[in-house]
Amino acid sequence: MQELVSTISLGSIYLLFALGLSLTWGTIDILNFAHGAIFMFSTFTAYLVLGHIQLPLVAVILIGIVVGAVLSLLIQVLAFEPILKRARTKRSAEMQILIGGIGIATIPLAIAEEQTKSNPFGLTGSTFSVNVWHLGSVRITNIAVLTIIVGLLLWGATALWFRRSKQGLALRSIGVDSEVSSLMGINRRQLALVTMAVSGGMAGLAGILFTASLGAITPESGDILLIKAFAIIILGGVGSMVGVAFGAFALAFVETLVLTHTSGSWTDAVAFGLIFLVLLARPAGLFGRKEVRRA
Amino acid sequence: MTDWYFANLVLIQATLTGLVMALSVQVPLRMGVFSFAGVGSYGVGAYAAALLVIHMQMPALAAIGLAMLLTAVIGLLLGLVIARLAGLYLAMATVAFDLIIGVVATNGGTFTGGSTGLYGVLSDFTMPMMFILTLIVLGLVILSEHGKVGRRVHAVRDDQQLAASAGINVRRYRLAAFVASGALGGLAGAMNVMVRSTIGPLDIGFGLIVLALTMIIVGGAMSWKGAVMGAIIFTWLPTLLEFVGKWQTLLYGIIVATAAVLLPRGIHGVFVDLTRWWQRRRREPVAPPPAETAPEPDLEPLMTGPTSGTASSTSLLGGTA
Repeated sequence: MQELVSTISLGSIYLLFALGLSLTWGTIDILNFAHGAIFMFSTFTAYLVLGHIQLPLVAVILIGIVVGAVLSLLIQVLAFEPILKRARTKRSAEMQILIGGIGIATIPLAIAEEQTKSNPFGLTGSTFSVNVWHLGSVRITNIAVLTIIVGLLLWGATALWFRRSKQGLALRSIGVDSEVSSLMGINRRQLALVTMAVSGGMAGLAGILFTASLGAITPESGDILLIKAFAIIILGGVGSMVGVAFGAFALAFVETLVLTHTSGSWTDAVAFGLIFLVLLARPAGLFGRKEVRRA
Repeated sequence: MTDWYFANLVLIQATLTGLVMALSVQVPLRMGVFSFAGVGSYGVGAYAAALLVIHMQMPALAAIGLAMLLTAVIGLLLGLVIARLAGLYLAMATVAFDLIIGVVATNGGTFTGGSTGLYGVLSDFTMPMMFILTLIVLGLVILSEHGKVGRRVHAVRDDQQLAASAGINVRRYRLAAFVASGALGGLAGAMNVMVRSTIGPLDIGFGLIVLALTMIIVGGAMSWKGAVMGAIIFTWLPTLLEFVGKWQTLLYGIIVATAAVLLPRGIHGVFVDLTRWWQRRRREPVAPPPAETAPEPDLEPLMTGPTSGTASSTSLLGGTA
């Protein structure tokens, strides 16, 4: 039972983080390798602010969301848009975006590592304190409850927006064929900016909640989480909202299982192995639509 | 000269291993196979060579040869399994492969030395061996860029269907890319452990992927000259940039990101463009009327690939996968 609770709260963090990544990858074809760096640097900024003033958790969360969204927009405007404008083929654009993202990701990482001397940092300056509630034999913290609620609500809202709203329809049409969608009068640039901002905001939010529930993170935490998010998205299927939720909780479940039954640091291998197995058995993921890529 | 050589021996060694490692990622990239498996092979090769020397007291060349054979076989198996993946999916699968190697090395107990790794790998490896091995593989890579093989590699990269219709066995070429990448990565790792005498999980992490990419992207992804330039620049830059000190990683990130955005074909690409521009200028000594020069045809369409407009129209004709 206790394992189930930890699975669900861990899964909610994964969900929040992977949701943003899946959104940009599945629609505007941007596999943002700097997503983990955004996650980390939003938390790091909040940590710096909390060094000067005490703030309630809501304010800290807001800082995280705003910093994440701004960083994500900056990356889109300064790096990904010029790449897409200049690239001759879709494949070379994909590759440049991947490599550019890897390069960009090292910038916030280097700054945070220099400032913290690679030590873990937390959100201790917040007025918020972690309480443990006992429900029978099960222990659950208030931040875990908050994470689960926020994660599921945000996922539901995103899925609804994606499925029902006009913007969601436009986004999905870009995912199917970006050129035809342009011909139908969709403003690709504006929609891409909105998507990147939403995605970055989610990364920032995930960073704050993750750090608040864990106590502290290291500057490198973002990179590990990034690989896990890839595993989640590949497992569920790129661009599928049900898939990303399934992937997040499945990975959290297997990791919790491995953690409680083995010693050592094999948990990281779960995500890597999962990427491999799913790509072999079902490259489109469990809930993914069949890839209709041309050229 | 000899003084300089011995004072900078460590850097010279690092340049050679860096070059071979960069080639292990560049060779598949040049065939359109977006694989980082060479970095994982680097780890396997380093550990294999170290274990052979420590436990069996093997001579250096035999240990390196066996390590390369092992990584080439692993490359072949990996290729058989994942060669059907394309683009980003392939890249992600190979990144996962590289990271799994690191996790296995960390959890290998006394066999791999756990998180501290293996040390005391002392063998009869000499610098002439290192130079000759590096030159041999560099020569083979250069050969693969010219003549019949070179043209086929171009075709496989730019249009698989077209290449297949011209009678090229695309699958075999893609598999060959995995094998070559494995062997090159294994060689780089094995040589590195011979000159450094230690190897640990931290040496084969994600940072190594970034380093290999940095060398190739900044140098130029489409020619061995790019890999050579990248390996030299990023091995020697740290000593030249001592004044930046702790901000080195930051600077690397900025360089990679800038190169990816502005110079996707790297420094080598800039050289190619400049020479082409220079030749064009010499061919036209008198400035012709502007109307005639305006639609300049692409001199090397295979190198640059079709424009995005034609790509989608031809692909519609080519059918869907």
